[in-house]
Amino acid sequence: MDFLDTPAEACLREDVRHWLRDNLPAGWGTTVREPQDEAARSAFRLDWEKRLFRGGWSGIAWPREYGGRDATLMEQTIFLEEMARADAPEGFNVIGRNLTAPTLMAHGTEAQRQRYLPQILRGEEMWCQGFSEPNSGSDLASLRCRASQVGDGFVVNGQKIWTSFAQYAQWCILLARTDPAAQKHRGLSFLLVDMRSPGITIRPLVQITGETEFSEVFFDDVHVPAENLVGELNQGWRIAMTTLTFERGPEEALPRQVRFRRDLERLFQTAATTRRNGRMVAEDPVIRQKLAASYIDLELMRLNGLRGLSRVAKGEALGPESSFNKLYWSHMYQRMMETALEVTGAGSALAPGDPDAPAEGLFPYRFLQSRAMTIYSGTSEIQRNIIAERVLGLPK
Amino acid sequence: MNFDFTPDQYLLRDSVRRFLADQWGARKLRAAAGQWDPALWQGLCGLGLQTLLVPETEEGAGLGLVDVALILVEFGRALVPGPMADTLLASDVIARFGTPAQRASLLPEIASGACRVAFAHAEPGVGHTAQEVALAAVNSAGEWRLQGRKILVPAAQAATQLLVSAKPPGGAPALFLCDATGDRISIGRHQAIDPNSLLCQVHFDAATAQPIGAQPDADALGRMLETSALAAATQMVGIAAAALDIAVAYAKHRTQFDRPIGSFQAIKHKCADMLVALECARSSVYYASWAAAEDDPVLPLAVSMAKAACGDACRLVCNDALQIHGGVGFTWEYDIHLYLKRGKLLEYAFGDASFHRERVASIVLDGHPGASTVVLAETVPPSSRSPHAVS
Repeated sequence: MDFLDTPAEACLREDVRHWLRDNLPAGWGTTVREPQDEAARSAFRLDWEKRLFRGGWSGIAWPREYGGRDATLMEQTIFLEEMARADAPEGFNVIGRNLTAPTLMAHGTEAQRQRYLPQILRGEEMWCQGFSEPNSGSDLASLRCRASQVGDGFVVNGQKIWTSFAQYAQWCILLARTDPAAQKHRGLSFLLVDMRSPGITIRPLVQITGETEFSEVFFDDVHVPAENLVGELNQGWRIAMTTLTFERGPEEALPRQVRFRRDLERLFQTAATTRRNGRMVAEDPVIRQKLAASYIDLELMRLNGLRGLSRVAKGEALGPESSFNKLYWSHMYQRMMETALEVTGAGSALAPGDPDAPAEGLFPYRFLQSRAMTIYSGTSEIQRNIIAERVLGLPK
Repeated sequence: MNFDFTPDQYLLRDSVRRFLADQWGARKLRAAAGQWDPALWQGLCGLGLQTLLVPETEEGAGLGLVDVALILVEFGRALVPGPMADTLLASDVIARFGTPAQRASLLPEIASGACRVAFAHAEPGVGHTAQEVALAAVNSAGEWRLQGRKILVPAAQAATQLLVSAKPPGGAPALFLCDATGDRISIGRHQAIDPNSLLCQVHFDAATAQPIGAQPDADALGRMLETSALAAATQMVGIAAAALDIAVAYAKHRTQFDRPIGSFQAIKHKCADMLVALECARSSVYYASWAAAEDDPVLPLAVSMAKAACGDACRLVCNDALQIHGGVGFTWEYDIHLYLKRGKLLEYAFGDASFHRERVASIVLDGHPGASTVVLAETVPPSSRSPHAVS
């Protein structure tokens, strides 16, 4: 057991740090932050993605033949950890890079790979994901968006929802029903849809934070050429399931806990400088219990991540600790943010931008964001079913 | 970075697990009826466990607390009572703090299996911290004598030696060793909720003793308290793992409403949450075991994180495991209560979750009141610092 980088890993870490120092704006994280305005922030993040590409950091885990560096999971983790530690802008084309690309590498044709992968790598084409529908959330396989075979291709009719980045995306990975007569998992196909096609309407949805990161997308007689089918007709479910395995890899937990830790540091600082009931909040024994619990929770997230990564590094299958990463961090972050609101007390009612908001209104904003975490990428209820059935072997 | 055990460490774990599955477990435990079983001790010695933490220079295997972590998990899983766990911790503290003479006389004895140690620390009416120790160590004419009473001592009647926390006049409480069979010591059994834990109370009436080290050493007691909290946490991981296994097996075959109850989400979701708590607890004790093996400065923080996480996890898993059993879970006949009770004993030994969370708070939160930037305590010291361990 040890917690040391190998010389090669240490070297990579130094390279990433060096590059980040040279490429993040001067004063980043202290005086310079991301734009508050959503459109400006999106442009900023897209520009950052292009900068990453020019630095050679885009898609480092991809094979060399598609422009990557063949980075191991450990190297990828180091890269993402250092990005998180520097508070570098979060990824923007995450759907393209993390979902579309590995799906095409696993199931796409060579022509599809050549057409789409370079553009993803360069940050030139943004992607969105058309899986969920208003009536198909946890029961995804019941989806009704229809892709009828017509002449040389498909005609798509239906509606998708919770589509992140739809308004910025050139392309969409779409799961649609191609055989309505088949059993529900067997009649689906996986299509690549040009978001500039006639018949697509994007209606942004306002989230509880007031932001519009996701949209609903309507398809009215949208033509999709036959060559945009991924894999075989009616094999879409199997392909979508491999896509979803790329959604929460073990390399994700460690960088995420680095970002969470920044919030916890801010919380400790706030508790140590906020006076209530004649003492600092950090001196309140009940609050201390909760702050310590959050510290422990976060350390356990880090340690679980290290355990998972150690197994993968040795070529072993992921252990049970990896199956519940998302279930674990979503709930622990929610607990942390509940504690944060207790620390800032009545001032928790004030949003970012209000001059009286404690900690610049960070915690109420993060609290609201945290409510989505136990819902997106498979609700906690679905996660628990998966753990119970696949890890513990309980019957369906 | 490698946060995993070696194949050899897993092999040793497997052999201990096999031995305990054959020779111990709930069936044997019940048959022992609250009596110490010398055959179990001999069997564990047959596997060489008593040698593990004895340095090679003193005829031991020279291994560390990481090597022992998986074994202590198995002890919890099979509800192994003392004194093997305490004997292992004793060999660690004697190797680190003993005088050359103490090392030369005691460690080979431990390695041979002839010396069994129980740690006598708790006292009535006080907490478990070193400062609260009241049992007196008095030095007269160059000889140390102990006066007072200890409670909740596991398997004291099976021990040949007792490690005792005691307070010398004007000094900080320290660690002493004393012959468990001496005539100035009387040992009685507690009426315990878990009779198989072999808990004893021990009365010292001017019993002769020697400090571990040339002089009474508070650091030796500090080390013993950290490793004891860690061992309690580690055994709770095994207890929770066994309780979860038993509950899942029960949920798979128990049928109600014409279905196995394990097919109901009310049961599935409980079991999933139990697994999450268990695996997090596992990570915490592996880390604290590493810190203990390296005697890393992060040790107090890592131990407190582990004791808090494991105490909470063991409580959750054992309570829900019993609940999943329904009515039969409340019967003496089913085994689940054995795990619940042993877990309860360990949950409160050497500081409960609240105590250890407060200790975490004092380490990571204090020292920065009013500071403009609070930097969270780094979890690995500079000597072995990797950004993997420092976030």
